[in-house]
Amino acid sequence: MPLARAEDDALVEVGLRVAVLALLALVASLVLDRPVLLPVSLFLLGGLYAAQLAVDDAALDGAAPLVAAGLLATAELGYWSLEEREPCTADPGETLRRVGFVALLVLGAVLVAGSLLAVVDVVRAGGLALDLVGAAAAALVLTVVVVAHRAGRDSG
Amino acid sequence: MTRRASPRLEAYAVLAAIGLVASLALRRPELAAAAAPFALLLTVGTQLAREPKLDVEFTVEAERTLEGADVDAEIVVRSETPVDRLELLLDLPAGVAIEGSDSFAVRLRAGEERTIPLQLRCSRWGLYDVGTIEARARDPFRLVAWEDRLQRMRQLKAYPRPETLSRVLAAVDTQAFTGSEVARAKSDGIEYADIRDYVPGDRLRSINWRASARRAGLVVNERHPERNTDVVLFVDSFADVRNDDRSTLDDAVRAGATIATRYLERRDRVGLVSFGGVLRWLRPGLGPSQRFRLIETLLETGVAPTYVWRDVSLIPARILPPKALVVALTPLVDSRFVGALENLRARGFDVVVVEIDPIGLVAGGKEPLESIAYRLWVLDREGLRARLERLGIGIARWGDDVSLEAALEEVRTYRRYARVARA
Repeated sequence: MPLARAEDDALVEVGLRVAVLALLALVASLVLDRPVLLPVSLFLLGGLYAAQLAVDDAALDGAAPLVAAGLLATAELGYWSLEEREPCTADPGETLRRVGFVALLVLGAVLVAGSLLAVVDVVRAGGLALDLVGAAAAALVLTVVVVAHRAGRDSG
Repeated sequence: MTRRASPRLEAYAVLAAIGLVASLALRRPELAAAAAPFALLLTVGTQLAREPKLDVEFTVEAERTLEGADVDAEIVVRSETPVDRLELLLDLPAGVAIEGSDSFAVRLRAGEERTIPLQLRCSRWGLYDVGTIEARARDPFRLVAWEDRLQRMRQLKAYPRPETLSRVLAAVDTQAFTGSEVARAKSDGIEYADIRDYVPGDRLRSINWRASARRAGLVVNERHPERNTDVVLFVDSFADVRNDDRSTLDDAVRAGATIATRYLERRDRVGLVSFGGVLRWLRPGLGPSQRFRLIETLLETGVAPTYVWRDVSLIPARILPPKALVVALTPLVDSRFVGALENLRARGFDVVVVEIDPIGLVAGGKEPLESIAYRLWVLDREGLRARLERLGIGIARWGDDVSLEAALEEVRTYRRYARVARA
């Protein structure tokens, strides 16, 4: 027991350090105007969640949609702050409209992630969950790579 | 327009890919659920992004303005396709400022036209090309941006701010045409000059009946006619002494524009010679159109550094008519220009110098040697003035503490005494 408790404490300490590092990367990205540090921060936070899932080894974590929403909200707000650094005369209500749009994206993220987990839960009961998720994930990865390559090729 | 991927696009692609691969590797569907929104956003966003079809126009209310005065302008933008965010930055040349922000962000629906009113101000006289606009259009998901640098050039002419000047210097000699200057010659006019005996051909209305009654024969009045004069502005463009606020060349152009306007109002002919690294001239002429020609030639005046010696013999004779009054506008720092003034005086021209005093623009120096050098320089300038005045060149010192009007009044006094001395 004491050994397990010591291991738990060590893991928590590592987790805290990674979280602080992620926060520092986020702050540095915004303060120093370095967009490249923002995905580093998101990657560290996502990695922390993955590590927690691996350690806890629970059946299905229902907090995944909230994690997805949190990551997307952090990304959208961070990039919004970096894009609009110079003072600019904008249309009245522009900020509110953008806040509303980001809120819709975050809500959409919750719905998409939640729906995916619900499908996984239903299919898992039928015994095909992991295989289906694996196939869907592979297809999604392929789609993402193709789309990103085309979008990057079309840009200047 | 140039299409560019925003940092979001690459970041979301990497995050989605890593999340999905990690989900496969760790056999945790939660990671795929967390990555799925990024992948979906990427896919939908890039498919919906469309290059905007923009039409941007830039107009200025007036081609000519005064330095320091506001001039209205506007940017009109329309798009055939909807643009979620269009950012416009007006890139202005040095010397032109904008009231408020120089960057704008608008949202356009398909077919919508928006007008952005602006107010520009030229801080200094000169010719300015305005109308360079940086445009950046973003899609709703901010994954892609389209950028372009648009050239909608308009030339803005900022005329020099006029100085206060109610009287100008009278030339020693007049010309043959009617003007506002009372000539020394005797002919038909308004100003009484003298009386003489009647000769056949004299007009009856010229007879001075009172004087005739006291004499044996008829006596007629003689009058001074009003004639015009020829004035040539001689602007020194060899050197420009400047600090953050002021410049001798700027002051010379302002004074030149004011003096030219006053002489042209009196129906005098005014010409211009810009004497320096680049030699530029304008033949003497009359009227409002000559004023515009003079000022627009003055606007092109600038200092082009050169070590070449310039001589007044390079100037065509038609530019410097005989008996013209030459008004030189100079800080008297370049010996070539001083030599040209002495040359003109030696050729018999009536020369007056408006000295744009550079003393206020030069710091005295903190070190003892610097202080001594500064005092020597000031003494040298006093000696130069005395030398020019001995040649008969009146010098009007115009500086921070002396207005142009007061400076010219001193020259008027000098010239009055100079004429008495010659007689």
